[in-house]
Amino acid sequence: MRSLGRYLLMRTLLTIPMIFVLVTMVFIILRVMPGDPVKASIRPGAPQEYIDEIRHSLGLDKPLYVQYGEYLWDLLHFDLGTTLSPVRGQSVAEQIWQHFPATLELSLAAMLVTAVVGIGLGAYAAHHRRSLADYSLRLYGIVIYSIPVFWLGLMFQLVFGVWLGWLPIAGRISSLSAAPEHITGLYTVDSILTHNWPALKDSVLHLIMPAMTLGLYLSGVFVRLTRSNMLQVLKMDFVTAARARGIPERTVVYRHALKNALIPIITMLGLQFALLLAGAVLTESTFSWPGLGRFLVERITYRDFPSIQGTVVVFALLVASVSLLVDILYAWIDPRIRY
Amino acid sequence: MTEPLLQVEHLTVTYETRQGPVRAVDDVSFTLQRGEVLGLVGESGCGKSTLGMALLRMVRPPGKITSGRILFQGRDLMQLSEKEMRQLRGRHISMVFQDPMTSLNPLQRIGDHIVETIRVHEPKVSKKEAWDRAAQLIQRLGISPDRLKDYPHQLSGGMRQRIMIGIGLALNADLIIADEPTTSLDVIVEAQFLDLLRELRDEFNLTMILITHNIGVVAELADRVAVMYAGRMAEIGPVQPIFHNTLHPYTRGLLASVPSIRLEDGLELETLSGAPPSLLEPPPGCRFHPRCPQARPVCSEKTPPWKEVHPGHGTACWLYAEEEA
Amino acid sequence: MKTNQKTKKLAEEPTSLLGRLLRGASWYGAEWYWTATGAVILAIIILVTIFAPVLSPYDPIVTVGGPFERPGGGQVVLLAPKDSGITSPEGLKVAVYYNTTASVVAEDYGMTPRPYQVDKDLFEKVRAGEAQAVLISARDAAEALQKNPDFVQVGEPFGPRFWLGTDNLGRDILSRLIWGARAVLAVAILSALFSAAVGIPLGLLSGFFGGWMDRILSLVMDSIYSFPGLILAIAVAAMLGTGVINIAIAISVVYIPTYFRMTRSQVLSIKEELYVEAARALGAKQREILGMYIFPNVVPTLVVVFSLNVADAILTEAGLAFLGLGLQPPTPDWGFDLNKGKAYLPRGYWWPITFPGLMITLVALGFSLLGEGLGEILNPRLTEE
Repeated sequence: MRSLGRYLLMRTLLTIPMIFVLVTMVFIILRVMPGDPVKASIRPGAPQEYIDEIRHSLGLDKPLYVQYGEYLWDLLHFDLGTTLSPVRGQSVAEQIWQHFPATLELSLAAMLVTAVVGIGLGAYAAHHRRSLADYSLRLYGIVIYSIPVFWLGLMFQLVFGVWLGWLPIAGRISSLSAAPEHITGLYTVDSILTHNWPALKDSVLHLIMPAMTLGLYLSGVFVRLTRSNMLQVLKMDFVTAARARGIPERTVVYRHALKNALIPIITMLGLQFALLLAGAVLTESTFSWPGLGRFLVERITYRDFPSIQGTVVVFALLVASVSLLVDILYAWIDPRIRY
Repeated sequence: MTEPLLQVEHLTVTYETRQGPVRAVDDVSFTLQRGEVLGLVGESGCGKSTLGMALLRMVRPPGKITSGRILFQGRDLMQLSEKEMRQLRGRHISMVFQDPMTSLNPLQRIGDHIVETIRVHEPKVSKKEAWDRAAQLIQRLGISPDRLKDYPHQLSGGMRQRIMIGIGLALNADLIIADEPTTSLDVIVEAQFLDLLRELRDEFNLTMILITHNIGVVAELADRVAVMYAGRMAEIGPVQPIFHNTLHPYTRGLLASVPSIRLEDGLELETLSGAPPSLLEPPPGCRFHPRCPQARPVCSEKTPPWKEVHPGHGTACWLYAEEEA
Repeated sequence: MKTNQKTKKLAEEPTSLLGRLLRGASWYGAEWYWTATGAVILAIIILVTIFAPVLSPYDPIVTVGGPFERPGGGQVVLLAPKDSGITSPEGLKVAVYYNTTASVVAEDYGMTPRPYQVDKDLFEKVRAGEAQAVLISARDAAEALQKNPDFVQVGEPFGPRFWLGTDNLGRDILSRLIWGARAVLAVAILSALFSAAVGIPLGLLSGFFGGWMDRILSLVMDSIYSFPGLILAIAVAAMLGTGVINIAIAISVVYIPTYFRMTRSQVLSIKEELYVEAARALGAKQREILGMYIFPNVVPTLVVVFSLNVADAILTEAGLAFLGLGLQPPTPDWGFDLNKGKAYLPRGYWWPITFPGLMITLVALGFSLLGEGLGEILNPRLTEE
């Protein structure tokens, strides 16, 4: 246990350079690379004084190293600046905080779909190795990964939204007045907490298609991961031993083996988090889902430089903290199974 | 003599490889009486582990039992459905594996291993009852019942191997197949474990097939010995005659490699030279002839027939069979 | 015994990628078929790209029909009053609905179109003498004739045919797909080349020389690798602006670490191989070892990485374009067409969003299958798992 504590400390410390590199990368892309953020932000033909004023207010008229210092300093204080447009002077951090729950809700629901579909099918493929089902599922893994996630969403909208009319094709809720009282910001959770059943039904209906889209997109990777992990576990002695004890095949595969295969999958869940975020940006745009990804894309069209910078930084922090979290989780489970 | 518990007749296990079929077990026959301990010995790769798995009908693909019969309590196992076979595994025939480190599920508590096995075969037993039975059992094996709540990695290798035996005993299995049960244990633990096995054998009147390459273990525990070479049975007999009146040159070579076994006076110490043949292209005739110090021309031409030289003690060797050519 | 067989088996396998491919399906089963399927898909796509000017029926950026003409539609038919004696469209003044294929193509066939809003009855206008005949979509002809028995069809239906329909601006979707393949492949391959050109040398040097440079590079590359690629590309694209080169650069930034990591790890393992040690002992120069011994051994793996990378780049490009950060309109771009088509989806126009998505999937799938298959054939131990 002493070494576990040490490991956690080291791992946490190692996150700092990673965050530093990511944050610096954002700075380089948005400030150092060719392309003037203000020129990009302002509509052509704006008076020079206005441009200068904005440059000054963003500190862009200072030397790069000063800008970099101020940028880091502000980040240390969680100060992400204020918006330029469509409304000037709003707190970027606040805007991001408002959009965050939608992304979180979508991601969690999608992960649920991924876990059920990906892990279930992957285990099945490993169990029936070299069968037709196995080859089909491996092909599924490749095909689903080759389908653009937003197109998958569009097809769902077309079939289930437009043709069949079963599900709403956009948004999180039918109207803002129908939204449940704000507690966590997750509509489904909030409506359960407030016993607001109409809102629960409404928000679940809105959630199904985006969650399926993003979840199926990620499931391909998980089918493959689970399959290869399961194949390794199924070769282990304890599986043979369990069979030799007369334990039914199903129990051996889906209880004993799968449980053991799941542990490395938890780590890979962390590695796939980046894929999840990228997929979320596209899924949110497809379904007009008011989350961080859609916020980012919307602000790009408004050329709202501080919001773009702030959102990208927040994504970077999310990636770094999830990877830390997953490693801690793994280390916590690890000593129990390693001997 | 009563009907034997196990009767294996002309059993052949073939592995389909890219280079062609490999007969890992080739035309092997033997019988086992209730209450008897049979030591199955041979070098690694001679097919003895495959034979053990074949008795449970658990040969891993691409391996397959291609011919022969396995009569267990008079029933031919080859005729059973997969479900009937599963009900037999663990309940009537139990297996103890070589490496106790890896043969328990790392995420399942020790107690749950035993409880699960009991309840799979006796669904009417409640969880509580099964747990109590498990507790009694492992106490008998010299482990505190508290350890039932432990995970495998919290137990020592010796303890885990005792648990493996315990799972077999939990259902009073008629036959226990132990595949190299002591190989991965250190010497002192091995000695303790063998003592325990001997006690259990006497107490429960265990019927056991002890697969090992360690002839010392066989000498201590077995009633009869079966020697395999390159997939074929070389010699079978009661333990004393095998050690003191050895027939097959290969058995002699095996015994010679164990210094603690006293050889009969006047018998020279012979060491086995060379390595076992590839089963892909086995040598013609007797498979041992390239390494045999007493090889004759006929040995490389014809497969030696099985010959019962003394009652209950037979061998496949041209030294004891009349040549017909 | 088992170990013996394994060594023997591996020793018999051909070591070069080409050798393995030629061993064919009997050895590699499904993997080989996947590779072949991928290769066939790509061969077709590449032919389409080369022969785009010949294959595309219309100019992809010009309005050639009415908006949202259904797949297979586009043909028009001339309906004239029974007793008018009209036998040819030449020189006629025809009543058409405004902004339909009929209104777009009437002049091409020597007619003078007289456009009306869709709520007007064209046949009334002809009866009122405002036009001599009606020109409408062939699809609607039968129904119109039933309603207006005093009119007859003149000649056969004529005009353009849009096999995959038209988009909101009346452009031929098939033509846009064909030309779009060019744009997408150009961006994807260009970006993969950029990534390879930066990532491979850095990986070679980093893995070969090690030291603090290696540590820093690895940290930076790992950080970029951990970051969601699309978001990175969005940020770069938002700063650089649209255009083939800019988008290619934006995408290439994302995939540099892929090449870097793969090259570096390969170099690290090959560096320890006996023959490299031997060459070093014989006094080969660092540069020679790197160029003659290590790099050639990395190449087969990089072929696989490149193929998979192009698939990723295609998807990223499509994603960027879908978010409005793609090529400059009106350049045909599948992702951007999906973005446009999305707005009309609630009205049930399925064809503008179905076909471009299919194409993206097909091309990405081609590169994926090729890469996956090659990877498995190259490294059969993975398949054994």
